[in-house]
Amino acid sequence: MIYDEPKFLPGGDRYMLLEFGNEMNLDLNFMAQGLAGAVAAAGVKGVIETAPCFASLLVHYEPEDIGFSDLAKELNVLAASLGPSEDIELASRLFYLPVLYLDPWCAECVADYRAKIAEKVPDPELIVRENGLEDEQHLVRRHSSSEYWVASLGFWPGLPFMMALDPRARLTAPKYNPPRTQTPQGAIGLGGAANSIYPVATPGGYQIFARTPVPIWDSTRNDPAFGGDLCLFGPGDRIKFVPVEREEYDATAAMVEDGSYIVNVVEYQKFVVADYNTWTAKLTGDAS
Amino acid sequence: MIEVVKPGLETSVQDWPGRHGYWNQGFPVSGPMDSWSMRMANVLVGNAPGAAALEAQFMGPTLRFASDTVIAVTGANMRPILDDKALPMWQSVTVRAGQTLALSAAREGARAYIAIAGGIDNEEVLGSHSTFAKAGVGGINGGALKTGQFLPVGSGEGTPDLKVPEEARPAFATDKVWQVEVCAGPNDDWIDASGQQRFLTADWKLSPKSDRTGFRLEGPEWTFAPKATDKPPEHGSLPSNIIDHGYPLGAINLAGQTPIILMNDGPSMGGFINPYTVPSAAFWKLGQAKPGDTLHFKQVSVEEAQDMAARLKSLCTTSVLVAV
Repeated sequence: MIYDEPKFLPGGDRYMLLEFGNEMNLDLNFMAQGLAGAVAAAGVKGVIETAPCFASLLVHYEPEDIGFSDLAKELNVLAASLGPSEDIELASRLFYLPVLYLDPWCAECVADYRAKIAEKVPDPELIVRENGLEDEQHLVRRHSSSEYWVASLGFWPGLPFMMALDPRARLTAPKYNPPRTQTPQGAIGLGGAANSIYPVATPGGYQIFARTPVPIWDSTRNDPAFGGDLCLFGPGDRIKFVPVEREEYDATAAMVEDGSYIVNVVEYQKFVVADYNTWTAKLTGDAS
Repeated sequence: MIEVVKPGLETSVQDWPGRHGYWNQGFPVSGPMDSWSMRMANVLVGNAPGAAALEAQFMGPTLRFASDTVIAVTGANMRPILDDKALPMWQSVTVRAGQTLALSAAREGARAYIAIAGGIDNEEVLGSHSTFAKAGVGGINGGALKTGQFLPVGSGEGTPDLKVPEEARPAFATDKVWQVEVCAGPNDDWIDASGQQRFLTADWKLSPKSDRTGFRLEGPEWTFAPKATDKPPEHGSLPSNIIDHGYPLGAINLAGQTPIILMNDGPSMGGFINPYTVPSAAFWKLGQAKPGDTLHFKQVSVEEAQDMAARLKSLCTTSVLVAV
């Protein structure tokens, strides 16, 4: 559901969380990203920074410069002035990432968690059950069938929050209770309907079932694929997971290690929201 | 220059308010966990309140000074010694070239701050001197101090023999119990009325599994409002699961049944609800609490929390200082 008016929720003395809706779709993500852009362009007094995600925008403000209710008023005006996302066309890079599904490192991490922290259904099996899939290979086929939309970056430097663009590939899973204290670098996870890649070994709450050897964050800023940035991805990028066998995974990891690996990205495509909507409507029509 | 003779447990360069502008790429603000104490240390030595200084955690460092300067030590009592003489805390002190400052284990509180006239002059990364050690960003070579390092110091002249009067210092808990202010929200309406009341009346024990990214709390189970279970599947099926969203600094993040206060080096986004948020002016209490200490939460309004921050800011200025 997309709310008629955004909700303005307080987060202590310096933060406001603005919610546009209660589901995950491209329209909501364009509203969040669009408002972040509009706030930056308007230079709203007192706003220090914003952090858009799937369906919401977190605003960090200086209360000496603007109060909560005045900030809500200004953001409401800007939100109302956003054009329809149907008109959006944007350049969108497509990254092809080699992925070893059902890899031994995630399996070991999950086994360690089950032994030391809490008993749970192993992650791939849990996703299979929750989504009525046949088996783990079905999970691999389903998960790797779609492109993924980078809705935002957050949690940890460079971590992408992604949603499956193909509605037929949409999977859901509960999040860990309690979270893991460690996750293998490059692990791919699912929590709710959100997907992500862990840039380094960090705590985590998503169900993990695959791993990429390609680094997605570079604190040295020396990797040319990053174009001088610390993070490989940005909002509006797309990612396609390419299932590989262990042999190719190891070969890729070795190339990453010796500096010869070149990130596979195409940069000549535009994402046209109207065309995407037509396509998904057709899919839904086919299904019914 | 300052030579690191012993680094202490995890001593790092921090400035205040830290790293702004990169929350949307997942970079935390970092900065001092007890900014009250650090701001006072800076003000004592003639620096801007937010200048880069050292934060020592639990066990302080040993430092040798290459030139004459003025320093101040505030925050947790780590029994600082200059050569072989006790160094008074909350006071600006002249230090001569070749002298050695040694801090030991914290008695009252958990984090001490060492400010030097001119401030630490390490390279700024993403607009801040602060250290985010877990990702290797900022500070000195991206991490905590190490033996044998030399810390660059900016130019500045401090005035010795100034002190912060007792009434302008943070009062540390002596009974291991801290009253910590919280604001309701952003997701307090996901918790039912008894769950909210339980949160505000329970003893919450600070877990040893706590660091600059987050403080885990041990206490009673949470109960939820219907909103937490009656929701679209993309949130995730457990009651604390929500579509990933931005996290306020200080949010009490309910990861499953485990509340984690998101601290200075914490995550910027994620998929768990944040029923309450610790406001900025109460952060110093978290910075000075030790694992095993008890936290009691007291709800204040957003406006009250903003007034607290404004009062603290006006307190952390030279006008409050008195001659020794």
